[in-house]
Amino acid sequence: MAFQPAVSRAALAEDQAVGVRLGDKEVALFLLRDEVFATHGVCTHALAFLKDGFVEGGEVECPLHQGRFDIRSGRALCAPLTRDLPTYAVEMRGDMVWVDLDQPGRVSAPAPVASKAEVGTTSVVVLGAGQAAAAAIRAMRGAGFGGTITLVGEEPHLPYERPPLSKEALLDDAAAHADCLTDDEAAALAVTPLLSRRAVGLDAVAKRVTLSDGTVLGYDAVLLATGGRARRLSVPGAHLPGVLHLRTREDAADIAAALRRARRVVVVGGGFIGLELASAARRLDLAVTVLEQAPEIMARLLPAPLGRAFRHLAQRHSVEVRTRIAVSGIERQGAALLVAAGAERFEADAVLVGIGLEPEVDLAQQAGCSLLAGGVRVDVEGRTSVAGIWAAGDCAAHPHAIGGRALRLESWQNAEDTGAAAGRSIAGAAAAPARAPWFWSDQFGVNIQMLGVPHATDRVARSGQVYFTVDAGGSVTAVTAFGNAGAIRAARTAMTLPDDVEWLTDAEEDRMDTHAETRGLSLSRRYVWPAEGLTRIPDWVYTDQWIYEREVERIFKGRTWNYVALESEVAHPGDFIRSHVGPVPVVVSRAEDGSINVFENRCSHRAAEFCRDLRGTVKEFVCPYHQWTYDLKGNLQGVPFRRGVAGKGGMPADFRNEHHGPRRLNVTTHRGAVFASYAQDMESVQDYLGPEILREFEATFDGRKLVVLGHYRHTLPGNWKLYHENLKDPYHATLLHTFLVAFGLLVAGNKSLMLADASGRHGVMCSAKSDPSKIAAEDKKEMRAYHEGMRLHDPRIMDFIDEFDSPWSVTMATIWPNLIVQREMNTLGIRQIVPTGPNEFIMKWTMFGFEGDTPEMTAHRLRQGNLMGPSGFLGLEDNEAMKFVQDGMLRVPEGEHYVGLDPATPTGTSETLISESAIRGMYSHWREVMGI
Amino acid sequence: MLDTRQRMDARFEALLVRADIEDFNNAYCAALDAQQLEEWTGFFTEDAFYSVISRENAEAGYPVGLIHCEGRGMIRDRAFALLKTAMFGPRYLRHMVSNLAVDAPDASGAIRARANYIVFEVLTDRPDARILQVGQFRDVFRHVDGALKLAERRCVYDNLLVPTALCIPV
Repeated sequence: MAFQPAVSRAALAEDQAVGVRLGDKEVALFLLRDEVFATHGVCTHALAFLKDGFVEGGEVECPLHQGRFDIRSGRALCAPLTRDLPTYAVEMRGDMVWVDLDQPGRVSAPAPVASKAEVGTTSVVVLGAGQAAAAAIRAMRGAGFGGTITLVGEEPHLPYERPPLSKEALLDDAAAHADCLTDDEAAALAVTPLLSRRAVGLDAVAKRVTLSDGTVLGYDAVLLATGGRARRLSVPGAHLPGVLHLRTREDAADIAAALRRARRVVVVGGGFIGLELASAARRLDLAVTVLEQAPEIMARLLPAPLGRAFRHLAQRHSVEVRTRIAVSGIERQGAALLVAAGAERFEADAVLVGIGLEPEVDLAQQAGCSLLAGGVRVDVEGRTSVAGIWAAGDCAAHPHAIGGRALRLESWQNAEDTGAAAGRSIAGAAAAPARAPWFWSDQFGVNIQMLGVPHATDRVARSGQVYFTVDAGGSVTAVTAFGNAGAIRAARTAMTLPDDVEWLTDAEEDRMDTHAETRGLSLSRRYVWPAEGLTRIPDWVYTDQWIYEREVERIFKGRTWNYVALESEVAHPGDFIRSHVGPVPVVVSRAEDGSINVFENRCSHRAAEFCRDLRGTVKEFVCPYHQWTYDLKGNLQGVPFRRGVAGKGGMPADFRNEHHGPRRLNVTTHRGAVFASYAQDMESVQDYLGPEILREFEATFDGRKLVVLGHYRHTLPGNWKLYHENLKDPYHATLLHTFLVAFGLLVAGNKSLMLADASGRHGVMCSAKSDPSKIAAEDKKEMRAYHEGMRLHDPRIMDFIDEFDSPWSVTMATIWPNLIVQREMNTLGIRQIVPTGPNEFIMKWTMFGFEGDTPEMTAHRLRQGNLMGPSGFLGLEDNEAMKFVQDGMLRVPEGEHYVGLDPATPTGTSETLISESAIRGMYSHWREVMGI
Repeated sequence: MLDTRQRMDARFEALLVRADIEDFNNAYCAALDAQQLEEWTGFFTEDAFYSVISRENAEAGYPVGLIHCEGRGMIRDRAFALLKTAMFGPRYLRHMVSNLAVDAPDASGAIRARANYIVFEVLTDRPDARILQVGQFRDVFRHVDGALKLAERRCVYDNLLVPTALCIPV
């Protein structure tokens, strides 16, 4: 129609592809011996831009899978290509290259060969409508076969490519389905498709095929391109919805839909399909566990060191890979599936099965064809042992396919080549030379190609990310390249071992990441919540490193307000303290404008934790290592020698201070307490606490100005959540803390309340001091430690001066995730949790009074302080008890806690002390946030 | 001559006081190492002040201590509570005192002294004795009925973080 300007002539160079977009069309332009050629810019095989390809000798090689096209004619020259590239007419107008998208280029693909000599065959039936069938049909017609071709397929589709089914088709609905044979092509090739039906009978003597719908077809030649079926898992529960196998387009659609709904998947089988499924699931950010019964993945196909390379790639992408583990059953538990393997249970929303292919050989057997290696035995031309019957593709096996070994290959190229060979043979044409087997897989963003066929017993040598398998005779059997197409290109010329290889042994190498197995997103493995629900808490909640790391990300760095300081600790501009948000050290400082700022204590240059003093007053912060300076808001102020010296060195010209400051957190204050959050769009602290918790918070922080009286700091060898639980567990108070009971401060009959907010994360344990003389006798009996008449030498420690607008003399508020507010009569304190790992945390206490306290009131608070802290009569007992709990879990592992008190209140607020409903409420929230 | 004699007497006196305090501290530590807490309360005057306080708090002028006892009554309550009501894991402690420095008595006869201390703690589940605390006693001694007693002992510990809990006094 119309030429349009595409590119300046000067932009083109020999052996280089240039991509332009004309309207909605990608066009590739090439310069070949001073002549310009234009083709479509996208490979006809998979979505790859030819401008990124490799140009040589008048051919462009697709960067993705190394299909080559002739630049001038657009002809597809090799596998995996089946379709030619459209070419466009080009004109030079001055310095500009003009392209007409409606006219083909001057050199077009040659027309198909016209009809050749009759070979006595006039009707061909192709059984199975997959890629081998399509290749055979093309080859037959290409060789001039003019008879009828009937294509029988069980699926409702004309032949299509299966490789995308385990790859892009799972991620993108809109990803175009790659057809091997379109309707138009089928019509052009004069193929009669009989779809949605299968052949059920093959009579080699009468030369008749019977179809499932009763149709009977006579033939001169029949091609078995029946492929196979995905091997089914044969364990109880394999039929359950959510247990998915992959073979067809519909299977892929089911898996894609399941992945969109899932959080965790279990992949059964560590082969290529299994790993590609795992890769797709990780792309969707799902937790993935691969279960493989062999000692190493791909053990059937590959030597262990090569299988290990695939495993490491998966593990680096947070796939949990478990080997030597066989699935014994699947059952449904609630909305999830529980996969039983060995003594373990793996929880998943979908179970994807990739345990191989069962070749479809029933018809061949009926017809009396010999079998080999599980497939139909064929010769190089695809002939079976029975006259008139050929076989090709996944269901066929050639006795000497590779190095004289009988092999049944399941690959794109094998389907293409064996299909074509059978087609040519049926059409009476000479065989084409065989090509080295070639295979590709896309996993975790890495294109992996394999040329040749490795044997599981080969030795393995490595050079960079290219692996060479070598047989006993010293010959290279295959080259496997991870993200290195050049190595495959070179290997096509000569399969030789480079000089610099490193020989790999079967023994495991040092792991890059020693935590890979435990850290991988192994939600599904050990993170199965007990079936009883919230009355059970499994140990891994408290002891598992990966759970801890997820807590840091999802809780401490998630949508929470974290206590960091009291305002009075940074009363004046320049005042700062070191603090923490979760385990992350932060600086809390007051700037000149009076604002309080919280930022990570990490120099943006070399990560140094630059603020070392616990507290102080400064004008700015200076990292001591290279003197980078930060202002009181954490903004990067100065970088020494930023411009270099005498015009040399220095930062890049585009360096901007504002791009390099430490991470600053969202900050808010309420009643003198300072909170920080990684979430920038947090609700107010008041809304975060909810009205009931806020009321108690404000009863303690009653508006009087706070005065810091000092700190306690201690480590505690227990999980940080145990501290929340201890204060959501009023049951322990009268049983562990004998002191309270001995002196009548708290007994089971006290007026009390265990308050929980609507979300379950916050709580307040409340009690009102009672008169010991009024305790009912039956209550006393229950408490082993009650000693009537026990007297303190100095009873002032028990005095309660009622200074708060609250019915409670004691409140312990647990404010998620890192704050405890203690109001134990008149001794007041903040406890800030700083987790350091699953098994330990640091507790920083800030004891305070109020401005206006009399000296006697301060003295009273200090005396009463003997109840709390790491030497407090109550505090030391809590710390010891939590250590005992963690010790128990670490030394008698894999158990669960039983928190079943007060079943009448499943979660939330409880009016009895003999309840664990607040703990259950907290885990209801925790599980939601953690996605467990 | 007389001057020399007086100076000698003063030095003897100081050495005797120092020896008394060393003996006192040894006996004090022995009582705690043996976890004889009732006996431990006998080392204090009736109006004694006893605290275990972090160096962080002491230097910042914050009064809060891990243990904070005004008077021997509170010290006895502490001993009673630890012996009769407190729950903590079994352990052995070993108190070490050194670098004793003793000032001359003031007009009232009170003697200020300082000494460094280390408390080792051995738990039942680890082979090692860990350092529970390292710090300094800041003391005021007085004679009561001829016997040396502590009118004030501030145990100022250097280690910022207390490991789990301090169960037995310092």
